[in-house]
Formats: sequence, C-alpha cells, structure tokens
Amino acid sequence: MTTEVDHPSARSDRLPQGVGDLTTPWKAFVLGALVVLGFGVFAYIWELSQGMVVTGMRNVGSMGGASWGLYITMVVYFIGVSFAGMTVAALIRLFNLNDLKPIARFAEVLTVVALLLGALAIIVDLGQPLRGIINLFRYARPQSPFFGTFSLVIAGYLFASLVFLYLSGRRDAAVMARYPSRLQWFHRLWAAGYSHTPEEQARHRRTTFWLALAIIPLLIIAHSTLGFVFGLQVGRPGWYGTLQAPAFVVLAGVSGLGNIIVLAAIVRWAVGAGDRIEMKVFSWLGRFLMILLFVYLYFMTVELLTLLYATPEVEKQLSDALLGGRYAWLYWGSVALLVISAVLLVWQVLQGRWRMSWLVAIGIAVNLAAIGKRYLIVVPSQTHGTLLPYETGSYSPSWVEYSVVLGLFALGALLVGLFFKAFPALPLSEEEVMSDV
Amino acid sequence: MSRKAITLLMILGGLAFMIIGYFSSAPWGAESVRNSNPRFDFAPALFVLGVIIAFSSAVVYELLPTREEDDGAGE
Repeated sequence: MTTEVDHPSARSDRLPQGVGDLTTPWKAFVLGALVVLGFGVFAYIWELSQGMVVTGMRNVGSMGGASWGLYITMVVYFIGVSFAGMTVAALIRLFNLNDLKPIARFAEVLTVVALLLGALAIIVDLGQPLRGIINLFRYARPQSPFFGTFSLVIAGYLFASLVFLYLSGRRDAAVMARYPSRLQWFHRLWAAGYSHTPEEQARHRRTTFWLALAIIPLLIIAHSTLGFVFGLQVGRPGWYGTLQAPAFVVLAGVSGLGNIIVLAAIVRWAVGAGDRIEMKVFSWLGRFLMILLFVYLYFMTVELLTLLYATPEVEKQLSDALLGGRYAWLYWGSVALLVISAVLLVWQVLQGRWRMSWLVAIGIAVNLAAIGKRYLIVVPSQTHGTLLPYETGSYSPSWVEYSVVLGLFALGALLVGLFFKAFPALPLSEEEVMSDV
Repeated sequence: MSRKAITLLMILGGLAFMIIGYFSSAPWGAESVRNSNPRFDFAPALFVLGVIIAFSSAVVYELLPTREEDDGAGE
C-alpha cells in the first residue's frame, strides 16, 4: 500500500536534522571522545592485567579501605540518570503531554545509554568480570536486592527501554528510508515495513500506552531495589534506613532531569530547533526539577536530623566525618549546589521568565551534586564507623579509576553523538511526515 | 493464530518463565543453608528470559503482518 510515508517522489541528498552530515565540529567531537575512551580502555586493560590492586579500593576494616568506591558510585549515578529519561518518555505518552513530545526521543536514548554505562560500571568493578556475569545468572538469589537491581534494571528495564525506543522510532525511520542515503538500509531495517496506515497508528498508540504503563512501576521497583542494596544492610551505619529507597528514586529523577535539560539545550543548538524545543519545554522541565529538588532536600534534612538526634556512637563517627571531617567539603559542596539550584529555579518561577544559561548551569550543578551525594552514600559508611573494632579507614580513587570513569562518560557521549548522526534527535513533525522530500 | 492471541501467549509465557525462574532461584522452604542454591543452574536466567519474552510481545504485536482475520478482530 502506497501512503504518504513511502511517497514515490521522495528524493533528496540531505537528511533532516543533520542526520548523516559529518561536519568538522562533529568529527572533532568524535575524535576527542575516542581519545578519552581509548585512555579509559587502556586503564581498564591495566586493571585487568595487574589486578584490582591498581585501584584505590581495599578491604573494609582489615585493610582500612573501601571495597566499593568510585565505580559503584558511578553505577548508582548512571542508573539514576536513566530513571528520568524513560519516566519522562512514559509520562509524555500516558498523559499526552504534547509540549514535551520533542524531547521524548533523546530522553529515551539517554535512558538506554545511561543503563549501558551503569552495566559497564558494574563490570569494571569486578576483578573477574566473566565469572561475575556467569555466576549472576547461575546463582543469583531473588531475596537479595542485587537480584532486583541486576535482573530488573539491567535485563528488564534496559530491554523494555530498547523496545520503547525502537517502536516509537519506526514512523520516523519509515520517513527517513524515503531518502536515498548511505543510511537508507538502517532506516529501512528499523522501519520494518511501517507505512503509517491508520491501523498501524492505532496499534502503535495502544502498544506504547501499555508499554508506558508497564514500564513506570518497573522503574520505581528497579530504582527502589537499588536503594535497598544499601538501605537493608543493618551492619553498616549510614546505610540502614527507610528513606534510602525513596531518596534514591528522587535523586535519580533530579540527576536525570538535569541531564535532559543539558541535552535538550545541546540538541536545540546543534539542530537549530529553537522552534521545536521551545522555552515552555524548559519551563516544564525546570518546574519538575524544582519539585523533585525540594522533595530531596526535605529527605536530606529529615535524614540529617535523625542522624544528629541521640546518635549511637558509630553513627556519630560517620556524621562527624560527613559534617565536619574528611568528607565535609564534598557534603557541604553537594548541599550548596542543590540549594543554589533550587533557589535559582524558584527565582525563575517567581519571575515567570526562564533563562537557558541558568537552566543548563543548574542541570550541570545538580549532576555534580548527585555524583557527590552518591559517593557520600557509598564510601564513608565503609571507612568510618564500622561496627567491628577497626581503625578509621580511607579511600582515594586511583588514576585507573578516574580514567575508566572518564572513558565511560566519553563512551556515553560518543554513543549519543553517533546515534543522532544516524537518526533524528527530535521526532519528525506531522508536516515532515506528510510532505514530499 | 491472530495477532492478539500470539501477543497474549507471549505475555503469559513470559510471566510463567518469571514465576518459575523466581521460585526456582529462591528455594522457599529450604531448611539448610546447603540447600539455599537455586534448584537448578541458571534458574535466575529463566526469570530474565521471562522479562525479555514479555516485553518482546510489544514488538511482535506491532510487527506481525496483518491478516484478514486480524482485521475482523477489532484491530
């Protein structure tokens, strides 16, 4: 059946939104990312060949260190970032939030990439990665929150996100396949015969609705179980607590929304899509971020007050280290970034005027704060206030860990950059779908 | 078999795999720590497979070519 999507008159060498157009700045970006990634791969090969001793991680207690360090911090951070992307995409579909539709695709891509990076961050943390992966599928215990984290997050959530991204992109893939280009085979493969008939549209609406409905509880469960990895450990002061799971979900939303804002600004600039990603999109994201920030600040205050009120000795050691000791600069630095971001958001709401530069700065600030807060959740409870009579420990990431983590960021940037050179960053408008090329 | 029937079958099959995988990985009622391993190797993988099958049903639902009997089934 010939429809508007596979219009026979479709002919053009230029694909929409700069797809397939390998500009000099883009090549420079890819080269830079490859260099950083290459160094990260080198550092990881060094770690594999020399053993985990080249990292800053040591056994808790007997070796006075931390066995979960920067890598686990980044696992929690990356999986957190993935939360907001798919949540926003699912909410857009469920509630037909038309204003936000232009950001749906890169929100989905952000989720997929962040989950891949989270999975890789787990693998680099393992001295014997292959053994770890095999044994996970062989012996994992569903009673453990790790099971929920790995089976639901990595398998279920990543797969569900890929399905959502794939199905929601079929219409645009069919449009892109009309253009003669080197990527035509890829777009045809993705479209898989889609021709935009009313039946297909209705079927697609139904599928994405049910998918979105299934994904949202999966998201909450997956991120809560990640919080339970820490929150259920009675023997580790600072971790055991009811607020861990909800606080994980909320901070995940904060860091993810910050990332979406930054990515939206980059796409808006790179594609020249000021008319598609209007300021009201940023206003939505800014308000949403502000609410989550206040919820998180509330959780943080409640946690702090509980920690300071009639604290047991081991908890006091930990709170001293956080509030006035070794980790104080990171704790207060993260708090300051979160508070300043919240104040700037409130200011813009009260003014009724949103500034792009402020929002991007806030997006970056809340992500730096999120990494800081994740680090403070993971590390201090291992180095300070152990229940056994060990001396206070310490942990500093080595150059290997920093390089591998930078390599992961470069890989993420590269994946996003490559994807948007092969596929439109913004969903094509109805006019683009219907028009001749 | 119609599109809806295949999709439903995949969802139910996925759920069945998840349930079997879950209870085989978590041996409820085991009285000794020695019996706390999954009842068979790679039982947790069965759970993951169930999740993947259930979500794959969405792709099958959209991609399966339309047949005349599907049209009559209120698609």
